[in-house]
Amino acid sequence: MAAFIDARTVPSGTVIDADLVLIGGGPVSISMALALANTRLRVVLLESGGMTFEAKTQALYEGPKTGAPYLTLEASRLRYLGGSSNHWGGWCRPLDAIDFEARSWLAYSGWPITKKDIDRYFVKAHSLCEAGTLLYDRAADYAAALGAPVPLASGGVTTRFFQFSKTRDGILPTHFGERYAPELKKVPHLSVYLQANVTRLGLDKSGSKIAEIDVATLNGKKFKVRPKAAVLATGAIESARLLLASNDVRSAGVGNSHDMVGRFFADHPTPRDSATIILFDGRLAPYYGAAQPVNGAIVRAGFFPSEAYRRAHDVMASSVTVDSKAELDDFGRAAVAATANALDVNASHAVAYSLGCGMEITPDPERRFTLDSERDALGMPKAKLHMKIADADFDRLRLTLKELGRQLLAARIGMIKLNQTGRADWLASLDWGNHHMGTARMSADPKTGVVDANLKVHSVANLYVAGSAVFPTYGAANPTVNLLALALRLADHLKGVLK
Amino acid sequence: MKTLSRRQTLLLGGGLVVVAGGGVGARFLLRKRYAPSAYDDLLVQLDDRDAAAQIGETVLASVEDFEPATMAARLRQRIARRPLSVVSVEDAGAARLVEAGGWVLPETLGLICALAAKAAA
Repeated sequence: MAAFIDARTVPSGTVIDADLVLIGGGPVSISMALALANTRLRVVLLESGGMTFEAKTQALYEGPKTGAPYLTLEASRLRYLGGSSNHWGGWCRPLDAIDFEARSWLAYSGWPITKKDIDRYFVKAHSLCEAGTLLYDRAADYAAALGAPVPLASGGVTTRFFQFSKTRDGILPTHFGERYAPELKKVPHLSVYLQANVTRLGLDKSGSKIAEIDVATLNGKKFKVRPKAAVLATGAIESARLLLASNDVRSAGVGNSHDMVGRFFADHPTPRDSATIILFDGRLAPYYGAAQPVNGAIVRAGFFPSEAYRRAHDVMASSVTVDSKAELDDFGRAAVAATANALDVNASHAVAYSLGCGMEITPDPERRFTLDSERDALGMPKAKLHMKIADADFDRLRLTLKELGRQLLAARIGMIKLNQTGRADWLASLDWGNHHMGTARMSADPKTGVVDANLKVHSVANLYVAGSAVFPTYGAANPTVNLLALALRLADHLKGVLK
Repeated sequence: MKTLSRRQTLLLGGGLVVVAGGGVGARFLLRKRYAPSAYDDLLVQLDDRDAAAQIGETVLASVEDFEPATMAARLRQRIARRPLSVVSVEDAGAARLVEAGGWVLPETLGLICALAAKAAA
């Protein structure tokens, strides 16, 4: 039986031997611990927090930021068992094949794996998210009773579907800590340490292998774990911070011989009211505006640029969702009336809706985390973010929205208004998906990334990074189910490596 | 049931003709009149010329070197006596679009609106 141990009770100076240490207690580590349950591996899971939110622990995330407007660093993550799944929205969608591809027009694009390499892990990942029957883009076939998808003319934008994690009578998404704690407790050879903050990834003298991991608690206890292998799964900010701050053997930090750790940070900007869509007949299936139960799943539709369109027009991934009904001003009513007249359609029942978006941004090495001079309560240097967002990313989203408008006109069913024109407009409307990505990107070449195709840190024999920190590009899909698929693949890999 | 005399029938019929004729005449007399332009044959496609002129003002802001006569000739050639609905769908199919205050419009419609703005100027 697994033990849940309060690290504050572990005597200082203790050394714990393990085959594998999972650093961080979020969905990645929990899923990997469960995936390795039927092995003989002695696994230690180190979670910074406890079973619930604690302000002092959460404050360990605090850090300064410069550049483009962005969320405070402690806002997006949660530092207790289950990690950020404790406040996620439950949105699920696998990345597309194109998201993994190198695109000549997109610098730094191209994963060292393809979507096919992780496809077989989606069923399990989806199951861990409790997201119901795997439907996604087949959902329309099962949702016919609720209404047909918007009959867009052929073109670059299509209706596709998200699915949602659900638990607690279908109301809230799966909180991995609370949900899977009973199962973790049944795993033999697993020890879960709560209140256990990793403060150093200790390389051996050669600098090529993790020899020990330093753990500290907020009540002053310090002990070590000596693993055969370690998986760093603390989110894109903390993973970068730990790699950079562990600089006692390698001055640049662990895995940072090419100065790539902390770079390429990304999130999904989610500009509000990006556009207004008009449907002349006022009819819109309910699954566009809100999640609906369909054939054992909870689904919601959005408008997405097709892979073919993205390839042909060099646009980034995005998703467009119908948010709420919108009111038109006199000019808008005139534009709708003139267009309906020109198309010879009746717009007397027209309805306007505000559209929200989730958008992929261009990989940028200068959008990065470094270490600040200020230190946290455990003596660790704080992480400092320099945020950037390119005008070209907004331009590309606008191109996709315009294509949606074109398809509405060509089908004589509606039209669109683009609500943002310049950078100031976009920034004023900007919110974020709270999807931290990049900072320990996957690459075939050690010069362009931090981990290899197996998520192993390029220059370290036994250290792996898991989570969306390893995403080289970001797609527009919500990361959770994708990072779980990668984590399950890593668990399989480790079964072979550590047997 | 009381039947109408011939005289009553004639009076009633005549009255209806006067009322109907008056209605049509009043509509004709009260209809908004515009100064003639060289592209009225295009502007007649618009349902509301005043609103179209407002839309057209914003289209003009994004079209360089808009010369009305040349544009009208170009539009006549494009429309080729076909219904505007056909041309508008064709515009959308060919991605010929203009923006008016953010509204994405079929180009032909937008340019006719621009002519309406010029005519109203």
